[in-house]
Amino acid sequence: MTQPILDIEDLNISFYTRAGEIPAVMDFSMTVMPGETMGLVGESGCGKSTVSLGIMQYLGNNGHIKSGSIKFLGEDMGSMSDDRLRELRGSRISMVYQEPMASLNPAMKIGKQLSEVLTVHEGISEEDALARAAEMVDAVRLPDPDRILGAYPHQLSGGQQQRVVISMALLSKPQLLLLDEPTTALDVTVEAGIVSLIKDLASEFGTSMIFVSHNLGLILETCDRITVMYSGEAVEEGDIDTVFNNMRHPYTKGLLRSIPVPGADKYARPLVAIPGQLPLPHQRPHGCNFGPRCSHYDEQTCNTHAVRMHPVGSNEDRHRSRCEKINDIDWNAEIDAGEIDEPIEVGDVVISVDNLKKHYSVSTGMFGGGDKRTVKANEEVTFDAREAETVAIVGESGCGKSTFAKVLMGLETATDGKVQLGNLDIGSLPVERRNAKTVSQVQMVFQNPFDTLNPSMTIGDQICRVLEQFEIGKDDDDRRNKMLELLDLVKLPREFARRMPRQLSGGQKQRIGIARAFAGRPKLVVADEPVSALDVSVQAAVTKLLTDIQRESRTTMLFISHDLGVVRYLSDRIVVMYLGRIMEQGNTEDIFAPPYHPYTEALLSAVPIADTNVKKRHVVLEGELPSPLNPLPGCPFQTRCQYVMPGKCDQGELPVRDMGDGHKIACHLSEEELNNMEPVIVVEGATTAAE
Amino acid sequence: MEPLSTVEIIIQTIIRFWPTWTAIGLTIFGCYFIREKMGVVGRLYGSTVGMWGAVLVLFWIFTAIFADLIAVQPALEQSFAPGMKKSAPGTGFMKDLEDGTQVAVYYLWGGDNLARDLFSRVVYGSQVVLIIAPAATLIAYMVGSTLGLPAGYYLGWIDTLMSFLANLVLAFPVILLFYLLVTPEVNEVKLIPIGPINLPWSLPIGMAAFFFLFPIIFLCTMWYTKYEKNPQRLATYIGVTLVVGLWLYSGLAFNSDPLGIVGMAPNELNVFAAVILGSSPGVFRIVRGLTMDIKTRDYVAAAQTRGERPWYIMLWEILPNARGPLIVDFCLRIGYTTILLGTLGFFGLGLSPESPDWGSMINHGRAFVRLSSTVHLSLFPAIALMTLVLGLNLLADGLREESLKD
Repeated sequence: MTQPILDIEDLNISFYTRAGEIPAVMDFSMTVMPGETMGLVGESGCGKSTVSLGIMQYLGNNGHIKSGSIKFLGEDMGSMSDDRLRELRGSRISMVYQEPMASLNPAMKIGKQLSEVLTVHEGISEEDALARAAEMVDAVRLPDPDRILGAYPHQLSGGQQQRVVISMALLSKPQLLLLDEPTTALDVTVEAGIVSLIKDLASEFGTSMIFVSHNLGLILETCDRITVMYSGEAVEEGDIDTVFNNMRHPYTKGLLRSIPVPGADKYARPLVAIPGQLPLPHQRPHGCNFGPRCSHYDEQTCNTHAVRMHPVGSNEDRHRSRCEKINDIDWNAEIDAGEIDEPIEVGDVVISVDNLKKHYSVSTGMFGGGDKRTVKANEEVTFDAREAETVAIVGESGCGKSTFAKVLMGLETATDGKVQLGNLDIGSLPVERRNAKTVSQVQMVFQNPFDTLNPSMTIGDQICRVLEQFEIGKDDDDRRNKMLELLDLVKLPREFARRMPRQLSGGQKQRIGIARAFAGRPKLVVADEPVSALDVSVQAAVTKLLTDIQRESRTTMLFISHDLGVVRYLSDRIVVMYLGRIMEQGNTEDIFAPPYHPYTEALLSAVPIADTNVKKRHVVLEGELPSPLNPLPGCPFQTRCQYVMPGKCDQGELPVRDMGDGHKIACHLSEEELNNMEPVIVVEGATTAAE
Repeated sequence: MEPLSTVEIIIQTIIRFWPTWTAIGLTIFGCYFIREKMGVVGRLYGSTVGMWGAVLVLFWIFTAIFADLIAVQPALEQSFAPGMKKSAPGTGFMKDLEDGTQVAVYYLWGGDNLARDLFSRVVYGSQVVLIIAPAATLIAYMVGSTLGLPAGYYLGWIDTLMSFLANLVLAFPVILLFYLLVTPEVNEVKLIPIGPINLPWSLPIGMAAFFFLFPIIFLCTMWYTKYEKNPQRLATYIGVTLVVGLWLYSGLAFNSDPLGIVGMAPNELNVFAAVILGSSPGVFRIVRGLTMDIKTRDYVAAAQTRGERPWYIMLWEILPNARGPLIVDFCLRIGYTTILLGTLGFFGLGLSPESPDWGSMINHGRAFVRLSSTVHLSLFPAIALMTLVLGLNLLADGLREESLKD
């Protein structure tokens, strides 16, 4: 048998804080063979990043490896001298972090930073190092290596910076590469490019990799093996196909059932949330950590002793699970989804956006002089939304979806065009000039749960303030009662009225955010990625709550997101935006099936899907989002489009083709060419992994 | 009479401070049980540095409160016994009481050049320092916040203008500014008849009148934005603020309290105005920076989208969430103000010459520093000043450290 690159045995890592010892990683074992890519997946706080830092022996002042060993090529890293560790780090083991800008020295040119790796670790001359750096920059598919090497980090885009970081990590040909959420800070189409790059590099250089991520789809696309972590422990380990199709741990099963995959449907097969929430490190149960949230829990077997990893099947399978009831549970049984809702009847048009434009003028010179330039954040945005309908606005950062939300909320006013709510044009009405009724009719659910509530006011006071502002309720007592009813509505205990936001978990805070938005019985709620910052296992519950309340109150919801999985699951209609323009809009089924707009096609292909039955056609977009400062004539997507027709796409008005049933595509391609496109996502055989 | 030995002086000093020791002990012991509810202040129990700071600061606070119990005799009382001028620490004399009897009095830390008890003067000095420094800092905070919040919130020309003014004040040599303020021509008080009353007027009074207006505006804006839709409560809060505020205002700024209870001597007013002018730009900058940061949070956007007024957002959504760094800065700034008071006293620009504030005492002892036998005239007030500022700085460090930990 070949020697493993990395062999971790019974690792225990603790942090020492004011509250005493906090075990962050417990009883953790993992083996990475040469050329293998190991995925480490789990929710925030599960200890996955601690493991990767532990491998680098970088635990900071208060972290400490209590027991267990980490062997790199058979050599115990715990007993290595600092000199030996320094020699290994950056040359034999490299690491890529989440934030590319934080990994690069902002005051040093890229070329200097890259060549330094080689001059330090290999002691070669500066010129040779620069030549090797240029080769590597080329290998990570960055255009024009000489320009890149002479640039400072801030002159590159996020995707380019991350490619530079990866090339830096690979420069000295490491045997092990650690990637800690390397694409989380990037847009999906840029992420797709980085992911395909990582896959190619792995086969080209034969580097073993550990890929840390919270995104199961991403792990499925990149890794050979997977370790699922929960609350400081590895709960299941095995080959990627085995774990996705024949999982032997209830947590893995619940996780896969709570993320929207193409087979999931809001009505026919709704998502099932894992009940409860992650236990705090000092409140972990006696036995199985997942016990309190598990439907197969049994006090006798599960809570009497610490649960060890048990092998599943033969030893060759290398499949292990931390569950006492591996043989007792029917793993093929479908998780009970509870009540199934009837499809909703949509009503009349509530909000109608007509040719909306929002331009910002930017001056480049001092004292407001110099060149006046215009950023077209929204250009010719036209669509309707009906009562009780969910319309998704999809696009990457910089596509103008947030600006559009600001115009709706009255934080900005439209440059041109109309936003009709009832018979009121709210596009030109800033929030200060709206009356309490109009304000309460258009509300918003914000993205970041840790930011959405004022940290120094109790939950009850915050909701009461909203009611007061919306002129609801006769007096303070009346409003207090209404506030308590709102807490019931979002399924939180009434005692929460007296709590401060810091005493709530992310999911609970987001529920308060929902209560606040629905306080004035709004006609329109704008939800800006309301669940993307939450842990996967609570996302489903919050999503369900949001749609239930919306269904009950027949509110129109504009769901802003970049996650096509959630969008497909939730929305009735989808609007795809790119650089301020609507590229495509239509019913959800029409968007996900051909004919596509070329950008939608790329977007669909870029989103990682955590389902082994889904086969995707790969469309990787080259290049970066162009600056909105220099809008090109013609189609904004021409610089990255694979169907681009020079002489046609770069001039004139962008034609909008009506494909019937409200499905509109803004593209120069002929109707015939659009109709001939092949589907990007094909679901084979059974609809989901669990079946 | 035999002077006390060094050991006796130390023991006597420690004994004299007994009310302070008792109070510190009770406070620290009592707060230990409610530390969970005290937020970041309660966490100080985990920090050695912060605890030392808290003890030093509490020491001077309680000394100021119990000064009458601790001091041997009033701050201005002189001894007419021979040899008590500039007497060495531990020197004693027989003091005649009113009923004709005599009692032994020891000057624990020696006597000053007018044969007053240095120990008592330092103890009473803490009262002066601990009232003026925090009060002036608090008003500087209100001025700085009232200007810094809109600058950071609106940016644009408001910010450009106010930052420019703040930089202008910061660029002006502080000591020169203070010299100007105490120049007789500048601070000469004229009486301007307005109707039946004669309004006293001078540059320092004008400045104070301007600065003292800010707390009233600040509080009224706070109540108005919060209770706008609740007229009854609004009327009560604003009414109370205006009555109390304007009463204090007339007394403090113009020394013309109709009831004759509050008032401030012209010297004190000078110092007050000078200190506020000196520290407001610093407060302005820190508040402006914090506002710019907190403005981007979602809860601010949430407040905007429900139609809250800008001043509500600034005072109720932004300012309370900036309190962590502001508390730390407040402690440090009281320290600077204490030093500034000392400096002003040292230059003779401060309070009245006989006032027992530490800066003036150091200044008066300055002439005698050359002789080792009279060094204590400056040394003891200097140590007092140093320990208080050190305590404030340690406390600020401890608070900062604890608020960063999780």
